[in-house]
Amino acid sequence: MSDVKKPSVKPGPAPVHGLLAEYDTPPQLLHAAKKIRAAGFTKWDTYSPFAVHGIDDAMGIKMTILPWFTLCAGLIGLATAITLQWWTNAHDYKWIVSGKPFWSIPANVPIMFELTVLLSAITTLVGMLMLNNLPHPSHPLDQVRRFARVTDDKFFLMIEASDPKFDDVETRELLESTHAVAIEAVLEDRVTEEKMPTGLVYGLIIVAVASVVPFALAAKARYTKSSSPRIHLIQDMDSQPKYKAQRENSFFADNRATRPEIDGTVAVGDARDDDKFYKGKEGDGWTRTFPSQIVFNEATMDRGRQRFGIYCTPCHGQIGLGDGMVAQRADSLAQGTWVPPTNMTQENLRQMPVGELFNSISHGVRNMPGYAAQIKTEDRWAIIMYVRALQRSRSGSVNDVPPDARASLK
Amino acid sequence: MATKGSKVSTGSGDGVAGGDNIRLAEVGQALFIKAAGVGVVALGISAFLGMNENDGWNRFSHSYLVAFVWVMTIGAGALWWVTIQNIVNSHWSTVIRRVAELIASNAPVLALLSLPVVLPLIMGKPVMYLWADAALMHESHELTNKIGYLNPTFFAIRFVVYFGFWTLLSRFFLKRSLGQDKETAVAAAKTVVTMRRLAGPAMIGFALTITFCAIDLIMSLDPKWFSTMFGVYYFASCVLAVNSSLALTLMWLQGKGRLTSSVTVHHFHDLGKMVFAFTVFWAYVGFSQFMLLWYANIPEETLWFKIRFANSWGSLSWFLLFGHFVIPFFGLLSRWVKRNRKALAFWCIWQLVMIYVDMYWLVMPTLPNATEVPFALIDLTCWIGVLALFIAGVAYRAKSLDLLAKNDPRLPKSLAFENI
Repeated sequence: MSDVKKPSVKPGPAPVHGLLAEYDTPPQLLHAAKKIRAAGFTKWDTYSPFAVHGIDDAMGIKMTILPWFTLCAGLIGLATAITLQWWTNAHDYKWIVSGKPFWSIPANVPIMFELTVLLSAITTLVGMLMLNNLPHPSHPLDQVRRFARVTDDKFFLMIEASDPKFDDVETRELLESTHAVAIEAVLEDRVTEEKMPTGLVYGLIIVAVASVVPFALAAKARYTKSSSPRIHLIQDMDSQPKYKAQRENSFFADNRATRPEIDGTVAVGDARDDDKFYKGKEGDGWTRTFPSQIVFNEATMDRGRQRFGIYCTPCHGQIGLGDGMVAQRADSLAQGTWVPPTNMTQENLRQMPVGELFNSISHGVRNMPGYAAQIKTEDRWAIIMYVRALQRSRSGSVNDVPPDARASLK
Repeated sequence: MATKGSKVSTGSGDGVAGGDNIRLAEVGQALFIKAAGVGVVALGISAFLGMNENDGWNRFSHSYLVAFVWVMTIGAGALWWVTIQNIVNSHWSTVIRRVAELIASNAPVLALLSLPVVLPLIMGKPVMYLWADAALMHESHELTNKIGYLNPTFFAIRFVVYFGFWTLLSRFFLKRSLGQDKETAVAAAKTVVTMRRLAGPAMIGFALTITFCAIDLIMSLDPKWFSTMFGVYYFASCVLAVNSSLALTLMWLQGKGRLTSSVTVHHFHDLGKMVFAFTVFWAYVGFSQFMLLWYANIPEETLWFKIRFANSWGSLSWFLLFGHFVIPFFGLLSRWVKRNRKALAFWCIWQLVMIYVDMYWLVMPTLPNATEVPFALIDLTCWIGVLALFIAGVAYRAKSLDLLAKNDPRLPKSLAFENI
């Protein structure tokens, strides 16, 4: 106790704070507590080196409301975790992780569990401190020498002078009747300074300011632009222990990392012996009819429109006129090196065999790359089906529209 | 319900089990006769129903296995319970420990009860364990590699090790504890240390045996499937089952006028906490097992769940999630519930039934053509039969023994135990 540095803040003799009784054993303390409770005191407490079983009953302490704090905090943590993960991953910035749905409950459960436990635990700790009026930097009992043994082997009971039933003489007699080992009047604390130590104040201010810095940096990063690459903390992805295609690898006799196919074998799914379906060929020429694997129905058409929207519209435009966003941008730059994308509804493409169209999508044409690696075979055929529909739509007459839908054209 | 404090609060040694009736005697004999009778009749009906299925006893074996692994959660769980109380030198549980020791020492009966599913396997007849068929094992590459483990001979050895170890360990605890009843104070204190010394290594043995037993009896029903967490998953049910069963057993004993003043609301409160804790633990382990398989999404692993998420099995999976975890979690959360005898009994029975549903969910989908939950009378009769015979085994041993470790030096503290 560092209480000898300064004189008391308030002058005059210190008033009595309460009466302290000392006991040797937990049963004595329990006995005394029952007696004080029976006498009707309200402002009193017991102090012991460890939790004394049964003291709550003896003192008539009601069950704490702390569990309710914990339950509420746990539920808030759970709700926070669900909302956070839904908002960030399924709503505000949709992002596919591991091929799972955007909002994927099983993947969210660990966070739900953790935030539930985290908020429950912190709330329990903070709630416990608050309900116990902690932290409590100083207390009149700190000035009592014999009270120091409360952390060792002595048990204490104090009745405060502010209790309406407190009376200097009678209360002392009552405590004596509980077979207290010693009884001592506790005076108000006139020694400890009431002001917080200056060092502590400055320390708290520095911590408070420092804790704002990360938020300030984050806020700055959100609202300013920078041309330097972002800070790359975790470099795991930069040096991966693997070989990329076409790299050298002296482990093999031919120094190639890519291994050639083994003679006489075909990889799973690579046995493509149907020329019409896989190459668009019939005999030596392009096929003019769709392969039998392609079913003519609404579902295939929808699939074709969807794939067309993903892979073709950037250059060829929404309805295949060759006016996609990329084309528009290239035109506006006017660099002179740009080969404009084909208008797919023009006559020569209308006459082109579907097999040739298929070949163009698969292997590319002029500066258009091949899409065989990105679009599945069935989907390439579905796209062609949709392209055929687009071509038809450009030369259709009102008679092509179903009678019941014609009204909507006016 | 007893109110706070009970009679003993100072922890003085006098009146240890004073006035408490700690012998089952004629009540135990009556229970033994009743349970044995019910067990024999119920299993007889099950056998008759199983024979009428005409499927080489496959349906019967599945129903019986569900009932058996369910009862084993209680029997093996009791052994774990006794071992852990010894390891941590627990004081509060001393008034309950003898009851757990008696349940645990029923391991030989457990071994006998397992014979209907284990014997055909040891003889190499693949009634429901397809891996007992050597020809099938050689057919597929992934199974061929498991022949070293999944073969009848090695299984027979493991089976003897599991039940032999459990029998010896449970006998050790019970014999030492019974011997302690007649010892001097000094010798009794030494016995406590002897039991504690052995309990540590024994726990390692228990962890290994329960893990591999669960793998052999349940996981190997689908020889291609594997989960490294499976042993822990089954263990979670063991702990849940034994704490629920102990609470119910003690309530029954007190209803019969046994241990009425020794076991108080404070002990029930702690058993209730364990039931609550392991309700959460079951969900934790169950979800951990599910999430890893779900996330990795490897066909040979996810197929096991795909089957259990299809048709009415899917509804049963949801039922397990809510019935085994969410609802009892909130049901058992309150302190009041754990201190209220009727409320605690309700949730203990609830969780024991849910453990049965869980075992059913683990075992039954491997029944051929079980695309829907095939619950039938035979499941019920097997369940009643196996449980009744297990109870008969415990009652037979317990009827002439003390239900309280009356000379354990920790007993006074246990009698005076108070829970906040």
